[in-house]
Amino acid sequence: MPVVTLYFNHLKTLLEKNLTEEQIKEALPYLGLDLEEAGEGFVRVEYNPNRPDYSTDVGIARGLNGLLGFNSGTPKYSIIMGGTRVIVDQSVIPLRPQIVCLKVRGLHFDDESIRQLISMQEDLHAGIGRKRRRVSIGIHNFDVVDPPFHYVAAPPSFRFPPLGYTEPMTMAEILEKTEQGKTYGHIVKEFSNYPLITDANGKVLSFPPIINGERTRVSAATKNLFIDVTGTDLRAVGDALTIVASFLHDTGGKLETVSVDYPHASLATPNMSPFEMPVNVETVNRLLGLDLSSDEIIQCLGKCRITAMKRGNSIVASVPRYRTDMLHQVDIVEEVAIGYGIQNFTATTPSSYSAGGYDKGLKIMSRVEDVLVGLGLVEAVNLTLISEEAIAKTSGGKGKASLKVDDPKSMEHEVLRDNLLPSLLMVLARNVHEEYPQRVFEVTKVFQQDPQHPYVITEEPQVAAVMAHSEANFTEAKSLLSALLKQAFNTKCSTSSKPHPSLCPGRSASVKISNTTLGFVGEIRPEVLREFQLRTPVAAFQVNIGKLIEDELGRK
Amino acid sequence: MSPREEYLHKPLHGLERRLLKALSGRGKTTLEVAARKAGITEDQARRTVEWLKSKGLAKVEVTERHHISLAEEGLKAAKEGLPEKRLLKAFRGRKSVSIEELRKRFKDQQEFNAALGQARAKEWIKISSEGEKTVVLRSDKGGASASEALLKRLKKKETYYDDLPEGMKKTFDDLSKRSGFVSRKIVKAMTVAATPEAKSALGGVEEAKEVDVITPEMLVSGSWKGLRLRPLDVDAPAPLVYPGKKHPIRLFIDEVREIFASLGFQEIEGPVVQPAFWNFDALFIPQDHSARDMQDTFYLSGLSMDRFDDQNIAAVATAHEFGGSTGSKGWGYKWRLEEAKRLVLRTHTTAATVKYLADFKPSEAKVFSVGKVFRNEKVTFKNLVEFYQIEGIAVGNDVTLRDMMGLLSRFYQRLGIQKVKFWPTYFPYTEPSLQSVVYWEKLNRWVELCGMGIFRPEVTLPLGVANPVLAWGGGLERLIMLRYGIDDVRQLYGNNLKWLRETPLCL
Repeated sequence: MPVVTLYFNHLKTLLEKNLTEEQIKEALPYLGLDLEEAGEGFVRVEYNPNRPDYSTDVGIARGLNGLLGFNSGTPKYSIIMGGTRVIVDQSVIPLRPQIVCLKVRGLHFDDESIRQLISMQEDLHAGIGRKRRRVSIGIHNFDVVDPPFHYVAAPPSFRFPPLGYTEPMTMAEILEKTEQGKTYGHIVKEFSNYPLITDANGKVLSFPPIINGERTRVSAATKNLFIDVTGTDLRAVGDALTIVASFLHDTGGKLETVSVDYPHASLATPNMSPFEMPVNVETVNRLLGLDLSSDEIIQCLGKCRITAMKRGNSIVASVPRYRTDMLHQVDIVEEVAIGYGIQNFTATTPSSYSAGGYDKGLKIMSRVEDVLVGLGLVEAVNLTLISEEAIAKTSGGKGKASLKVDDPKSMEHEVLRDNLLPSLLMVLARNVHEEYPQRVFEVTKVFQQDPQHPYVITEEPQVAAVMAHSEANFTEAKSLLSALLKQAFNTKCSTSSKPHPSLCPGRSASVKISNTTLGFVGEIRPEVLREFQLRTPVAAFQVNIGKLIEDELGRK
Repeated sequence: MSPREEYLHKPLHGLERRLLKALSGRGKTTLEVAARKAGITEDQARRTVEWLKSKGLAKVEVTERHHISLAEEGLKAAKEGLPEKRLLKAFRGRKSVSIEELRKRFKDQQEFNAALGQARAKEWIKISSEGEKTVVLRSDKGGASASEALLKRLKKKETYYDDLPEGMKKTFDDLSKRSGFVSRKIVKAMTVAATPEAKSALGGVEEAKEVDVITPEMLVSGSWKGLRLRPLDVDAPAPLVYPGKKHPIRLFIDEVREIFASLGFQEIEGPVVQPAFWNFDALFIPQDHSARDMQDTFYLSGLSMDRFDDQNIAAVATAHEFGGSTGSKGWGYKWRLEEAKRLVLRTHTTAATVKYLADFKPSEAKVFSVGKVFRNEKVTFKNLVEFYQIEGIAVGNDVTLRDMMGLLSRFYQRLGIQKVKFWPTYFPYTEPSLQSVVYWEKLNRWVELCGMGIFRPEVTLPLGVANPVLAWGGGLERLIMLRYGIDDVRQLYGNNLKWLRETPLCL
């Protein structure tokens, strides 16, 4: 989750009444902000990805001013119609079709505001921007370029000095050589031309979504900004721009619209006027379990910086544009809950009666555990994902690992196990210094692939046990297995000699129950023991119990 | 009754009986002797004496004794005679011999000088000069010496100084002035004697013949009647044994299941491998959401459903694209079936929950599940690639957010957690969404646990579920770690036998 650093002395200038640091810390969680770290003069809070407007202290101050009753209702954003134009060339439409822009005048940045703006830009790129693929934002010094601006497709050989470089580079070189090019180049690499924004004289503002031009670099001295937001999704670029615009407005900038001239349409951006959402009093009360009047609901929403008004018998909320998370009326319901104060809710319990119970199959698996525990075995619980190496070691290189996962971060966990023996041998290997005898079992589901339909994966309940001590042998394993089958399933097995890659020839048998082969019993091969650095004989059994469980459940 | 009297009324332990018998009729006896007479080891005797002492049946004195033995020179002298005796022998019956001749008889000049000195001191010899020659004259004295008797005695058996006859003590003292002949070590010795009460405590009962075990034959023949089982040292530690045991994770899962069932929830179970549809799409998680990246989610290599024609596809797709008939704006993108067909290892049990909702379309229900979920993460003390998730839902016409808080509070109460608070949070598939924070007494701090919320209409309506669905869930390992005081999650899955064997069930 994204994190924002709040410096109390800066935040306090944004709050409309005095609060102590303790009071601020107390209140933040009730906005949905998780205290991550507290230090001298600052806190770091995690904000939820649905609230990119909380990516700056300005946004958080807006929320606190509302929740604590210092200010109420939808903030007003004044924006004047500006004359700046961006002309979108047809050539860029197949590459990165959407662009919205903004001009801001009269800024007086301090270092903290610039830091906030940049960290907001990064958060928007990561979240709403889907790592710049969907949305990317360029921030420019307006005073060094001349409108109208052109959004075009340029050849890879086009040269300009990118941000951080004094010498011109071709766009192809930028992708190869700059940090940003290496990280985000994959977004445009497949294109034969790349998106580019230039001014009236061909000076470069931006190579979206990769890097800005050096020319429009922003500093604390910058007074007037030009913002471009490009991307693949009109709603997303608009959302990102509104959030940036709200921040710049609240830091003292004067917003001006920019006219974006597409080949067949023209659009004045950004749209800063609130949008309306209906609020149904009954829905609010039904979901929250409260009995609020329309006025109370309006008051709660006001605390969440949403102005609502009665219109006839219903309520209409006027939601600020930066609330890009408001998709459905239930989102308004949550705002009412937050405005009401989560700490003010008292818990109730549903009135309806219901009988609880266990899953029948899992209940039978518990029974298997009980019998084996009664026989003196210790239960192991292992991870489902194991290494190919463990499978190879168990089977003398003959086992195959079919169900692999893509791009695992650890080689220890790359294959869904199709049987329990490798995991149990690993348990013995990890415990060679513990007292013997060691008898360990595991009961859980393993994963088997249907050879005809590879996407059909059976999750088969299986039980396996290993016995390790100086006299461990076939007979002991078979005794325990027979006791288990008798006590847990009231059945018995027949065993017939059958080779197994993990078991000693002549001490290896298949386990059949009602004529179906369900597993094996035997003594582990010395070669396999050596692979696991075990110096004690080991006997084992392993049986699929899915069929036994189904038979029992079917019978009842 | 004083503690001593109470002891006296208890029957004597076999060892006590034997030791007391050995002491009867003796005065102060050393522990060594007492043990030998009683036929027990010195260790047993030492312990037994302590018991007897506490019962007032024996008196113990600890004394310092001087253990004496021969040192190197003494051992040599015991074999070859004292140096001064060997000097006399060198006279071979003559009355006077030159000192040079005598000197040649000794290899070691120091020994010779010592022999000369000793013999002179005892007045066995005199030294005089005859012209330029020095001669040694033999006197009438010298012969059997007390020193030799002592050497003989000590060579035969080391002893204590106070065990020597009075006359020999002086000899020993003299000899100990000469270096290297005898050594003396101070040892603490214990003597023990029976008190007058001992006799009545023994009670004059005849001791039966003792056996180690009563055999089946003795039971059958009745011969056990004349026998007495040898008393055991009941205080001695017995060998450790370990029971068969369920794994702590399973024990905790059982506890959680019991709590859910007792709150009226029915258990459901679903597969771990799911098409992305049930894990993500049906939960209104957009297809380009970062949670669906390979960096976070395990996809099965190259595996997609060949055919996937679930009846809910169209409604779910339109909910994503523009809200469909759910009253939502939707996410505003083009939904792709191909993406929904990829097979994933479920990232939450909510995949099973939502499938249950689609299959049964309940208007009222309370169900729960405890199951494995998977995340493609680096393994650290905090994270594993898979963990157990617990999840409960309640469906009903009139269930509310407050009910949700109440159900979760009850659940926590039964786990022994009393203080719970709630904060707003965000999940893509619930609205409103809350985070629960509980006060963990042992750690003396608040800990974030289960998340919860009401399923979004974009989730429930496409599946044909009209009533609100309350849902809560969270990781199980976190709770187990708090319970067991573990701070590395890898320890939970390490299956260390020592830990599994020794961790008591009552934690």
